[in-house]
Amino acid sequence: MNGPLIVQSDKTLLLEVDHELAGAARRAIAPFAELERAPEHIHTYRITPLGLWNARAAGHDAEQVVDALVEFSRYPVPHALLVDVAETMARYGRLTLSKHPVHGLVLTSTDRPVLEEILRSKKVAPLVGARLDPDTVAVHPSERGQIKQTLLKLGWPAEDLAGYVDGEAHPIELVEDGWALRPYQQQAVEGFWHGGSGVVVLPCGAGKTLVGAGAMAKAKATTLILVTNTVSARQWKHELVKRTSLTEEEIGEYSGTRKEIRPVTIATYQVLTTKRKGVYPHLELFDSRDWGLILYDEVHLLPAPVFKFTADLQARRRLGLTATLVREDGRESDVFSLIGPKRFDAPWKEIEAQGYIAPADCVEVRVNLTESERLAYATAETEEKYRFCATTATKRKVTEALVRKHQGEQTLVIGQYIDQLDELGEHLDAPVIKGETSNAQREKLFNAFREGEISVLVVSKVANFSIDLPEATVAIQVSGTFGSRQEEAQRLGRVLRPKADGHEARFYSVVARDTIDQDFAAHRQRFLAEQGYAYRIMDSDELLADG
Amino acid sequence: MPEPSTGPSTGTTGSAAPRSLAEALRARDDDSLAALLRARPDLLNPVPGDITQLATRAGTRASVVRALDRLDRFALQSAEALAVAPDPCPYPVLESLLAGEHGTTGGADNGSRAALPRALGTLREQALVWGDDERLRLVRTARELLAPSATRPSPTGLGPTVAEATAGMSPTRIQEIVAAAGLPGTHDPVSAVAALTGLFTDPERMAALLDEAPAEAHQVLGRLVWGPPYGEVTPQPTPPVRWLRDRGLLLPATARTVVLPREVALHLRGGLAHRVPEPVAPAVPAHREHRPHLVDANAAGQALAALATVEELVKSWEHTGPAVLRAGGLSVRDLKRTAATLDATEGTAAFWIELAYAAGLLAGDGEADERYAPTPAFDDWCELPPAERWSVLAAAWLPATRTAGLVGEQDAKARTLSVLGPDLDRSAAPEVRRRVLDLLAELPEGGSADPAALLARLAWERPVRGTSDLRARLAHWALTEAEVLGVTGRGALSAPGRALLEGRDPAAPLAPLLPEPVDHVLLQADLTAVAPGPLRRPLGDTLAVLADVESKGGATVYRFTPGSVRRALDAGHTASDLHAFLAEHSRTPVPQPLTYLIDDVSRRHGHLRVGAASSYVRCDDDGMLNEILADKRSAGLGLRRLAPTVLAAQAEPTTLLDGLRAMGYAPAAESRTGDVLVARADARRTAPRSAPEPVPDGPPVADATLLGAAVRAIRAGDRAATAVRKEPAEPSAPAPAAGELPRTSAAETLATVQAAALTGSAVWIGYVNADGAASQRVIAPVRVEGGFVTGYDHTADEVRTYALHRITGVAELAEDQV
Repeated sequence: MNGPLIVQSDKTLLLEVDHELAGAARRAIAPFAELERAPEHIHTYRITPLGLWNARAAGHDAEQVVDALVEFSRYPVPHALLVDVAETMARYGRLTLSKHPVHGLVLTSTDRPVLEEILRSKKVAPLVGARLDPDTVAVHPSERGQIKQTLLKLGWPAEDLAGYVDGEAHPIELVEDGWALRPYQQQAVEGFWHGGSGVVVLPCGAGKTLVGAGAMAKAKATTLILVTNTVSARQWKHELVKRTSLTEEEIGEYSGTRKEIRPVTIATYQVLTTKRKGVYPHLELFDSRDWGLILYDEVHLLPAPVFKFTADLQARRRLGLTATLVREDGRESDVFSLIGPKRFDAPWKEIEAQGYIAPADCVEVRVNLTESERLAYATAETEEKYRFCATTATKRKVTEALVRKHQGEQTLVIGQYIDQLDELGEHLDAPVIKGETSNAQREKLFNAFREGEISVLVVSKVANFSIDLPEATVAIQVSGTFGSRQEEAQRLGRVLRPKADGHEARFYSVVARDTIDQDFAAHRQRFLAEQGYAYRIMDSDELLADG
Repeated sequence: MPEPSTGPSTGTTGSAAPRSLAEALRARDDDSLAALLRARPDLLNPVPGDITQLATRAGTRASVVRALDRLDRFALQSAEALAVAPDPCPYPVLESLLAGEHGTTGGADNGSRAALPRALGTLREQALVWGDDERLRLVRTARELLAPSATRPSPTGLGPTVAEATAGMSPTRIQEIVAAAGLPGTHDPVSAVAALTGLFTDPERMAALLDEAPAEAHQVLGRLVWGPPYGEVTPQPTPPVRWLRDRGLLLPATARTVVLPREVALHLRGGLAHRVPEPVAPAVPAHREHRPHLVDANAAGQALAALATVEELVKSWEHTGPAVLRAGGLSVRDLKRTAATLDATEGTAAFWIELAYAAGLLAGDGEADERYAPTPAFDDWCELPPAERWSVLAAAWLPATRTAGLVGEQDAKARTLSVLGPDLDRSAAPEVRRRVLDLLAELPEGGSADPAALLARLAWERPVRGTSDLRARLAHWALTEAEVLGVTGRGALSAPGRALLEGRDPAAPLAPLLPEPVDHVLLQADLTAVAPGPLRRPLGDTLAVLADVESKGGATVYRFTPGSVRRALDAGHTASDLHAFLAEHSRTPVPQPLTYLIDDVSRRHGHLRVGAASSYVRCDDDGMLNEILADKRSAGLGLRRLAPTVLAAQAEPTTLLDGLRAMGYAPAAESRTGDVLVARADARRTAPRSAPEPVPDGPPVADATLLGAAVRAIRAGDRAATAVRKEPAEPSAPAPAAGELPRTSAAETLATVQAAALTGSAVWIGYVNADGAASQRVIAPVRVEGGFVTGYDHTADEVRTYALHRITGVAELAEDQV
């Protein structure tokens, strides 16, 4: 009766991390509960239907879940909650999708009333064919994704046992010369391969690309990789050439500028979702080859049309990579039904403890605006308010002071507004990378930064994602896309690559006090604070005084 | 034949067979009388004057119906069998009706033989059956209720006897039947019916007769044998029906229907009165057995949730409670809203509301625009330790007659029953609830019962007469409610539940199961605080102001936001208070962002000041304002300097103007803007309210002391009554002189009338009607109830009812006077 876990009636689980049984409890609940917050003392997990079905898909049963809760709980667990867990889990697997020699794909039920119930739904009717026997109904193979999505919405998620096509074989090997997959990356690859399809959740900087490469080496088949933007596509290509037996020629880029289709093709979400005259002209990409594996980078950003295409790709293995399953649009259930259940996750702090990502010191610098700035802010139009307070001159001065303070360290200054960045670049005498910077120029600047030829780089949001700058140790954020928690995490990720000397990374967020900037900052920081990154707050006056 | 044992409770002492129920009762010992009164407490109100009165009261319809309703299935089956048996009925006859005849297939012992003495004992104890084993007699009212009548077939499915069915049939027709059945003719219908009855009750001759019957006739009999015994026939019946009718195996009931005589049916049934005699109560086995400590832990979890829910519910009604409907109760919309607040279904929300009401924690405030609000008792309740809070709820729940399960249904007038509204009381609820829990308590510790088995057992103990399944539903509700309240855990009775049932204080076993209140929180950098257990009260209350509650349960998660910190500052805390408070109660260092949050909010808090003033004085010359402030005469105006050139005043503008003019100034009035009003909502409480009393069905069961006193009183009254009655019989028994009203005392009048009702004899009464006109009447009392005597009035030649208090006197009639 003195366990580390407290089961709340709203289905959250509070885990006291300093408790001696905390590790065991975490392992016991991780399969079915989503880590929601991981601040320093008490971690919060949440039990959701998706989480429970994830656990079922991974082969856990209700008894195990109930036992885990009861065993580690400090206080009596409300009976109603246990009943609810058992009932929810029992819903998964009553319906299964499987291959049929004659009818292709069939939906089978072990519980006839459930089958009757879902067949009566108007949404299911167009997706199914003839009733083969009382427990079986044929499904149009093309509707495999649709029906899974629909059944999940009806609360009866189907287990997909129909298997995968192997796709066109292509030799891919990892070239582990002087490096090796880290244990957790290995586990993630195994977890994914064993489950068939699914999502791997790893923190920024924890080497998701390598998990992808590992999965490709398992599949040994032609692979389609979907990434967020062109820079990221280049980075993937670079990494793959470096880490695998693949050569430059085997990897194609399918983006706004190039349209190469090779055994391994990297495409951007943007090009796929480009619409002309009401149609998506680049959809043929999916059918252009017999892909054996489809990789989705940054699943939490997957745009809605891609879900639609993905529904038609259910016969192919799919791997999603992300730092968080939290989607600001709440489409977690589509990720579950179309890409697959979560196959692996590890909290940030745990990986940091293993030394694979650098420890970071997060500091919020609160800037006191001058009186005239405050007056101007008060009279600004509502839609201009954020821009105004985020780009004030005082902020610029504080940023300059910060850069001075970390002179000699590789420093990134990240911001949202181009004119602010240009101004900062001018004052700091540093190059600026923004949307209009050509890719060649970007590559060149990034390389110079990596080599230490330049120590300060001013970047716009183009650098939010998947830009590998392992040497950056200080990031200074001056403005952002309003309150996006994702962006904050991604930007922190820029400085989290482990440093050669085990040096601590620093992440500064410069915020104007008593303005909407501060409110957005609070929102942005929430995700990281919940991941255990405690923000320190520093007064700009102290900083300026020191400087 | 073994001598059947008489029920131990009959207490028959005398060897002479009693001639009436009253005599049988008089012969019983005190304990046995007390047992009767305990089983039928309605007989105690008021305490009967003597045994005769007791016997009469025990024979009234209302009381008998009540007693029959409370019989278990086998006792009821025994009574039903007696109702279709000859009156009086010897024990062996009754036994064969229930256990089947010896030697026939139905005669295999089904346990009835062993169970019958107990059932008969019950019937005797409750004065529904009297007489010794040779002459068992069912009380007349009970017989009327249970015997088959034209409108209502007997519960046994048996029809009338041959004698009853042939009454009114022409003698010729009877002779024809007798002849067709192969019996010799007789001289009169009575002996013919007797001969026919004799044939039907003789198994061998009957078997021979039925062997001759065509196969279709057997089918016809098969359809009627287990009842209902009536069948429709066409004017030209089919040959098999004709064959049966000719031999009296079917007798005409009306022009279009025939009936299967009771004797024939019994022969076909192998002598059984019921198709399935159920002598033994169905067992309630342990469906699943859980480890007791898990059961207790689960129940405690629910108990904790129950406390939190009730508190949240009542507190949510603290500021503006929902309005009381004109017809009483809560509107559907308010129920929905409350359910949403509690994150529960409407049914569960209704249960919590009714529970809080039953525990006296909330009530209507009794104002003109009536609303529900917490009672002062709620504040006291909140102060109690958690285990005791739970025992208050549980103690209110156990005897409650208000039934939340009915909410949302419609009553007989198609009005929707609303929560807290009228007509939710179901008197059977506490009894069923207790019985369900008692049955659970009989299981081994940690055992839960299959609800179906529980229901079967309850149905056996109190068979349902009619179609209402209320008891089954009540049992179902009792089970669910016990689970959500934490009386049971995983369907098994918890230790606190057991204590509750046994009348001990459930708080004692519950307290160690509940989490220990904690006095600290853990503060985290993501601006949350976690209280890893229930917080001690003042701490929890303060924290609830300072931070928003994010998650509840065993622990509580609070989140600090600028809004919540501002709320704390508004409530009068200062920033340093808050820092000290957090530092004192946090096990962990106060995170820097939280310190910043409090400082940032408090820095801005109070920067702007808002106040109320009724008027102001404005003047460009601040010297003049100094003058006014310095003037003593301005003291009553409540002037305060807000700025060098502005004074605010508490006085009304007109008063201010007058005041300034009186001081010799010449102020001018400015056009007014509206006053600022500060309103603060108060937590409302009703006036002191007592919790609603449960509404039990019928009088309460009397305790031993009362029973003893009642028995003594009845005995004493009986002795007195017997003494009085004998006295006038001795010297001058003559009827009062002609034309003279008989005069007797009220007690004597009652006794005589009751005796007459029992024996069915006629009496002579003097009666004064409502207009004051006196008359003499000869009546044969049938019923004496509620201060009225109903009887056949020989004088008026009809049945009439007379008020007892208007009867001036009564005299028994000589035999020849009737």
